[in-house]
Amino acid sequence: MASIATSSVFFPVSSSLKQNQVSNLKMVSLSFTGKNFRSLRLQPSRFRVACAAKPETVEKVCEIVRKQLALPADSAVTGESKFASLGADSLDTVEIVMGLEEEFGISVEEESAQTITTVQEAADMIENLKAKKA
Amino acid sequence: MRGEEPRKRALLARALVRTTIARYQINSQVNPRSLRFRKNVHGKPELEWNFSDHWLSSPLHFNISHTSSLVACGVTINSQIGIDVEEKHRNIKHNILSFARRYFSKDEVQFLADILDPEIQRQEFVKLWTLKEAYVKALGRGFSGAPFKTFTIRNKGGGCFSPLENLNSEAWQIVVDSFDDPRDLTSNWQFLLLELAGSHYAAICMENIGAVEGKRTVPVKLKVWKTIPFLEDECVSGTDAVKSISGLK
Repeated sequence: MASIATSSVFFPVSSSLKQNQVSNLKMVSLSFTGKNFRSLRLQPSRFRVACAAKPETVEKVCEIVRKQLALPADSAVTGESKFASLGADSLDTVEIVMGLEEEFGISVEEESAQTITTVQEAADMIENLKAKKA
Repeated sequence: MRGEEPRKRALLARALVRTTIARYQINSQVNPRSLRFRKNVHGKPELEWNFSDHWLSSPLHFNISHTSSLVACGVTINSQIGIDVEEKHRNIKHNILSFARRYFSKDEVQFLADILDPEIQRQEFVKLWTLKEAYVKALGRGFSGAPFKTFTIRNKGGGCFSPLENLNSEAWQIVVDSFDDPRDLTSNWQFLLLELAGSHYAAICMENIGAVEGKRTVPVKLKVWKTIPFLEDECVSGTDAVKSISGLK
């Protein structure tokens, strides 16, 4: 009688980038002739490249978020800040997006609104939409 | 510390889901820690079920919602569920009609605009928001899968989502009209609207399996528990803590 032995082999993936280093990098949006390929949804991956928005834009977004969530002026809100971590629920997030539309004179489709979870992502999206308008 | 609150809330929500679902397992005691979850293609969390060493979709469905002061978890068997809770006294920063014009359907804007009393208008707005969120979450396709403008939620007989004496159950049924998707027939979804603990509105949207199979709508049996995970469960159905606004007899 033959006996079959199986074994699993694991190849540990060693990466020179540690977890906390990767979290500072942002998603890139692929633009071809000015249109975003929405079907190319980049799953959260370990490699994200920064295409940062202007600091003034980020600051303005922080201000709007602080106002919406009634946070004190000196509270820590930065590009990295996640809306949910700041205490925003779904209604807050929609109001924040509405506030951004009013402030920057843009129109955000619900599909895009859904993908924004941090201040930086909001600022990047704003720059994108402003550029498309121009 | 303010920064701690959302993290605590997320942890509580996870504990609530696991302990609640563990209660429904058929084969003896299940350790809440052993439950496995995954996300559907749109990111909606689902329960996985180990059946003869395979991990399949479970007939148990759940959905959670939290506000700063309440975490809610709804569980059903064999039917999609979406749940949303919101503080009764929640106020929004924008003007209610401006917000509605931006995000709600035309009929819903009209419904809100017709309400003269600002406090009642605010209450109905919050109720409508929770109902719309619950519907989208039940569909499980994400916010963009059913944009808020593409469907209307209303009372079948018109008017506010308020409890009345001598309810004519037909007229006070909450229904959804979906413009985009003919698959989302009104009759496929059942809605419940509750007031919890005197402080929150809770909307529950469930797949109406009876209708999907061509049968009559089966009335919903709802049990509400107030729980401190791992410590204490209190059945609060039938007490003042749970007031049905619409959908339950």
